[in-house]
Amino acid sequence: MIWMQDGARRNRWGQPRSSLKKEAGTFPRKCQPPFYRFLFALGAVALAASIISGQPPSTGFVATTRNGEWQSYTGDTRGWRYSPLDQITAQNFNDLEVAWRFKTDSLGTRPEYKLEGTPLMVGGTLYATAGTRRSVIALDAATGELLWVHRYPEGSRGAAAPRQLSGRGLAYWTDGRGDDRLLYVTPGYRLIALNAKTGQLIPSFGTHGVVDLKVGVVYGNGKPIDLETGEIGLHSTPTIVHDVILVGSAMKEGMTVTTHNNTKGLARAFDVRTGKVKWTFNTIPKPNEPGGDSWLNDSWAINGNTGVWTQITVDEELGLVYLPVESPTSDYYGAKRPGNNLYGESLVCVDINTGKPKWHFQLVHHPIWDHDMSSAPLLADVTIDGKPRKVVAVPSKQAWLYVFDRITGVPIWPIEEKAVPKGDVPGEWYAPTQPHPPAALMYGRNALNEDDLIDFTPELRAQAKKNLERYKWYPGVVYNPPIVGNVNGLLGAINMGNANGGTNWPGGGYDPDTRTVFAQAAMATIAAESVAPPPAGFSDLEYQAGVVGQPFRVREAAGAGTYADIPPPLPARGTASGGRGQAAGIAAATPNPAAASTSGGGRGGEGGLTVQGLSIVKAPYGALAAIDLEKGMVKWRTPHGDTPDVVRNHPLLKGMTIPKTGQSGSVGLVITKTLVILGDPQVTTTPEHPRGAMLRAYDKVTGKEVGAVFMPAQQSGSPMTYMVNGRQYIVVAVSGGPYSGEYIAFSLPPDAIAK
Amino acid sequence: MKRPGILGAACLVLLAVIDVRAQQRTVWDGVYTEEQATRGEALYGEHCGKCHGATLQGNGEGALPLTGATFKSTWNGVAMGAMFDRVRLSMPQDKPATMTRQQVADLLAFILRANKFPAGTSELARQTDVLNAITFQADK
Repeated sequence: MIWMQDGARRNRWGQPRSSLKKEAGTFPRKCQPPFYRFLFALGAVALAASIISGQPPSTGFVATTRNGEWQSYTGDTRGWRYSPLDQITAQNFNDLEVAWRFKTDSLGTRPEYKLEGTPLMVGGTLYATAGTRRSVIALDAATGELLWVHRYPEGSRGAAAPRQLSGRGLAYWTDGRGDDRLLYVTPGYRLIALNAKTGQLIPSFGTHGVVDLKVGVVYGNGKPIDLETGEIGLHSTPTIVHDVILVGSAMKEGMTVTTHNNTKGLARAFDVRTGKVKWTFNTIPKPNEPGGDSWLNDSWAINGNTGVWTQITVDEELGLVYLPVESPTSDYYGAKRPGNNLYGESLVCVDINTGKPKWHFQLVHHPIWDHDMSSAPLLADVTIDGKPRKVVAVPSKQAWLYVFDRITGVPIWPIEEKAVPKGDVPGEWYAPTQPHPPAALMYGRNALNEDDLIDFTPELRAQAKKNLERYKWYPGVVYNPPIVGNVNGLLGAINMGNANGGTNWPGGGYDPDTRTVFAQAAMATIAAESVAPPPAGFSDLEYQAGVVGQPFRVREAAGAGTYADIPPPLPARGTASGGRGQAAGIAAATPNPAAASTSGGGRGGEGGLTVQGLSIVKAPYGALAAIDLEKGMVKWRTPHGDTPDVVRNHPLLKGMTIPKTGQSGSVGLVITKTLVILGDPQVTTTPEHPRGAMLRAYDKVTGKEVGAVFMPAQQSGSPMTYMVNGRQYIVVAVSGGPYSGEYIAFSLPPDAIAK
Repeated sequence: MKRPGILGAACLVLLAVIDVRAQQRTVWDGVYTEEQATRGEALYGEHCGKCHGATLQGNGEGALPLTGATFKSTWNGVAMGAMFDRVRLSMPQDKPATMTRQQVADLLAFILRANKFPAGTSELARQTDVLNAITFQADK
């Protein structure tokens, strides 16, 4: 390109590296002088060339927190969740007060009880998604006053959506000259562009502001999905860098599916000005493409999923996109897809201009545990063994931090292929080995040893061991394949680091000050994985999640059935027999005492397998971990969350002194100059506070808890921070149990700021 | 300007006392009837048991237990009106907000009975604001 004549070091976009990075934080909102200088530097020739080609020059927009704003879901495009703000400190954290709050009940036809969003803050306005319609709201960031609401009713298409919550949020973009946009994905899988100032659709984007993301989505050997009922959606936000929008894909829960031939996952790039597709990356390669041979017997053509449901991150300097890919169909049974199944459960690096894969690393071969890839990849520049390295680090459900050279994909610390147990589910195909990162990078609990069992009393430990006789269990094994569970025999295969373990969708964060990754990990999520034949006619797969002898139950995603336009049928008045039928062949629940303690997954700090109502796994039930990204080891780990009420009030534990156990659950964090801040995933009622949860601050270096403020409900969406009018705010989404969705803003009172 | 008389002040005090007493009711005070709980049991089988289980044990995932230590800990200290609205507006998961207020009140009566809270002589109300005067208290 001719405008590269000045000889400056440039990135793939043809822009000067140094100036771009420095100025990205300052130009977007108000066209400050550096931006004009930057534009000028591009030169009139470049402008002329772009006019001739019909393409405006790249704005070079890169979201940032450097100016006290929070311009994207993770603050930046690198997954960091870091802000350099330092008004709120260890010394004054306990002085924080509620500055304003925004209840989301009226955004939709019914309240939402799982608000997962992280807002953005740009130019004094806070933007978020919320409510059972996934509305977009703009609030005054200092006062919480509602400035505008955008709603896009989708009727039956929204009602059929596989991912119906209000979502994690949205993405912001500006050309630096007054064209400020918000981009988000509706429950019905439409990409919508709004004018950030007014909330109005942008007519020149897509069709009157809307791109139908279902167009171009396929199943099988390239058959288009139905635009109304086709199964695809997304909770995560688009990622925007320069003038490119990146959008992933998600399907229904994959534990009980009606067909292996499900919608195929994909990631796409769109032009932020026009909404036109720039490229599509299909996460299931065809036979003639790289990775195509990992689907034996042409099974690529009859399988789906492999969505990209968590946040996508981008290195804008290298022009590389990092795609975290989930499991193929189905979660626990893969008989119709022999082979390793790329790019299932893989980190894939693609070129931002073409979508062509540069490298990939499969975390789990032939996935049959629902590990997915849960977390935004974290991009960091660190020094390892005296050498500067560009790395990508990924927290995981396995509670391993996977770390790679982000240019080559080569693991920074060796990831060993180790033999794993083979299962015996009829028809299943088993990978003989699985990748195991070093033990020093395990920050939670991803395998069960006898020493991990409940240890409050010898009697409880003995009971735990007895309970485990009903399960297939290999001490210390991370990948224990599902079994055919039977209510009269073995009930399941014990796994720790899958479905709900380790770090889930909130992901972790990276601190450039201390070159440390912070991540919360659920540690009591013991799961008994088993499959059983579903009722006749339910599925074309012979086995699905379940236990022989137990009633079959369809597993739904969180938020299923809550979309605002799901019509409430007329209530059956005054009678207990409304007569609403169930799906054919699916039995109603029948009493089954043996089933009571066998279910997998697990919430509430006690896990699914319980002893006297207590977790069969000992504390900590959940923790915050700090992982040194230059040494490749866990620096510290501390229990996160109050000891659950069920433990503190348990009659068998009366009079015992129990150290803080932490809580199981999934919560995200925000990192500031000195603190890591995250809320409790559960509510408690303690002598210190009424029913509620605490938003806690930890010292980044020591891991010591240095402050905590009360919230009326548990954290359900990850916090963010920003500065407006000289005051630093922290905004966090809370909800759960009887508490419907609410964004709460905390800030310091004037006298605490003056201190 | 007429001052409020002593009688008026006394009335206010009395009202305040009544108000405080009303707010102090808990699920230990016989807030539902046996007949209501029995109606609720049938509704439970129809609408809830599929996920929450025949013995109210939950399914280990999204559907939490509705009995036992975990259940009581999870809801301890919550106003019954809040519990009522949570169930009324978001349950059952596949058909939210399809039960009448009366049906939801009956269901809660059944759940209270299943957790060994005593029955009384008057039914659990179906008005959220009235129910908010009753606290779910795990232990007496």
